[in-house]
Amino acid sequence: MDMKMIEVQSVYKSFGSLAVLKGISLDVAKAEVLAIIGPSGSGKSTLLRCLNRLEEIDKGTIKIAGQILVSDVDGVSHYAPPAEALAICRQTGMIFQNFNLFPHMTVLQNVMEAPMTVKKVKKSEILPEAEELLRRVGLFEKRNNYPSQLSGGQKQRVAIARALAMKPDIMLFDEATASLDPELTAEVLKVIGQLAEEHMTMIVVTHEMGFAREVAHRVIFMDHGEIVEEGHPDQIFSQPKHPRTQAFLNSIL
Amino acid sequence: MDYVLEILGPMVDGSLITIKMFAIVIVLSLPLGLLVSLLRISRFKPLRFAVGTYIWVMRGTPLMLQLLFVYYGLPFLPFGGIMLTDMQAAVFAFTFNYAAYTAEIFRAGIQSIDKGQYEGAKALGMTYMQTMRRIIIPQMIKRVLPPISNETISLVKDTSLIYILAMNDLLRTTRAIVQRDFDTTAFIVAGVFYLLMTLVVTFVFERLEKHYAAYEG
Ligand SMILES: Nc1ncnc2c1ncn2[C@@H]1O[C@H](COP(=O)(O)OP(=O)(O)OP(=O)(O)O)[C@@H](O)[C@H]1O
Ligand SMILES: [Mg+2]
Repeated sequence: MDMKMIEVQSVYKSFGSLAVLKGISLDVAKAEVLAIIGPSGSGKSTLLRCLNRLEEIDKGTIKIAGQILVSDVDGVSHYAPPAEALAICRQTGMIFQNFNLFPHMTVLQNVMEAPMTVKKVKKSEILPEAEELLRRVGLFEKRNNYPSQLSGGQKQRVAIARALAMKPDIMLFDEATASLDPELTAEVLKVIGQLAEEHMTMIVVTHEMGFAREVAHRVIFMDHGEIVEEGHPDQIFSQPKHPRTQAFLNSIL
Repeated sequence: MDYVLEILGPMVDGSLITIKMFAIVIVLSLPLGLLVSLLRISRFKPLRFAVGTYIWVMRGTPLMLQLLFVYYGLPFLPFGGIMLTDMQAAVFAFTFNYAAYTAEIFRAGIQSIDKGQYEGAKALGMTYMQTMRRIIIPQMIKRVLPPISNETISLVKDTSLIYILAMNDLLRTTRAIVQRDFDTTAFIVAGVFYLLMTLVVTFVFERLEKHYAAYEG
């Protein structure tokens, strides 16, 4: 069965008079990897940030794993009660371009922080899990270092381990490699690729077209707050139908 | 030298009053200042305004005036006056005055933390209170140590204002000795005492800064 993990319907979002999302609708199935591409300012980050309520939408419906985070009541967005909304958002993990690691905590503390503070998991319980996650991203040796002592690629892998420690059902990546040197990009993409193989549901906003083509099951092209085209990666990258998609792909190649 | 030893007794007694004042005020005003700074940035506008007014009054009038008002003025409040001992009045006035100053330092420190830290915490499911307690405030403390250290050193010296309530702190004791003996040696001894006290404070803050130097940011 094709269970939907994310359902977005007719979502509108403005910053003041600037309309950033103009009626976005999309679904993501369980274990699906969706890549979102598009020019700067097209609203990719904003869309992602609406899914875990870092931004609030003006209108529309968002469901996460079948639970309603926000729905339309007479054309006005209506969020689930705070505790419920928080619980719904905890099913997603998010990775930022700037990592947003906690600089005053070691790598290991960064990974253990949320399970201990949010889920009240005992340290003795989370410690082996955190160490295992750090092994998975190849950073066990760095567990007692502070973030400032790591390379960008290492920081981003810690951020991924930190998000996974909360056992999310969905991972959201916002240009996870955009601030990394090419040689560091590969190590992060490898980790994301592994997650795809483990059937994690993911939305990946990226400028790495090669990567999108390789791991994504589906690609969405956004421009000016709208979904212009969506399809299989091979189709989008080899035979884009819409002229705006063609123009965008030409401009970055 | 014999003279110094002779005046040492009362001067040590005076220092103890100074140190006691200092210790109580620091222990009360730092947490209060932190609380005030959090209210100052709360989303509830009337609260922000009330706290802003409090800070304005505390920073906009002389501490001496506040001291006099608390001691001599509070007993005559229309709706049931409050009678405080001189020590209570001094602690009260100093605590609320210093809390206002430190609150502004804490607020600036909190607002200097990158907003990505809030987003990172929120994306992990942390509530606002958890984010402040675990992520923002610990980082803020590192950044405000130098200005808080300044305020703390000021406090050591400002405690001498309590002479106005006829409390026998170090400075008032010293002045009494000088007037009695027509000898200014006591001034020099008092200066050394104050220097020793501020030295201890400086040392404590240096240790704290070293402790927080473990990470960058
Ligand atoms: N908090 C905000 N306040 C005001 N405007 C904003 C805010 N966040 C984003 N915007 C604006 O919304 C538009 C969409 O921004 P968004 O970050 O979603 O684009 P993007 O597709 O992620 O671009 P990029 O590829 O550069 O990351 C931009 O014009 C941006 O300036
Ligand atoms: Mg973006």
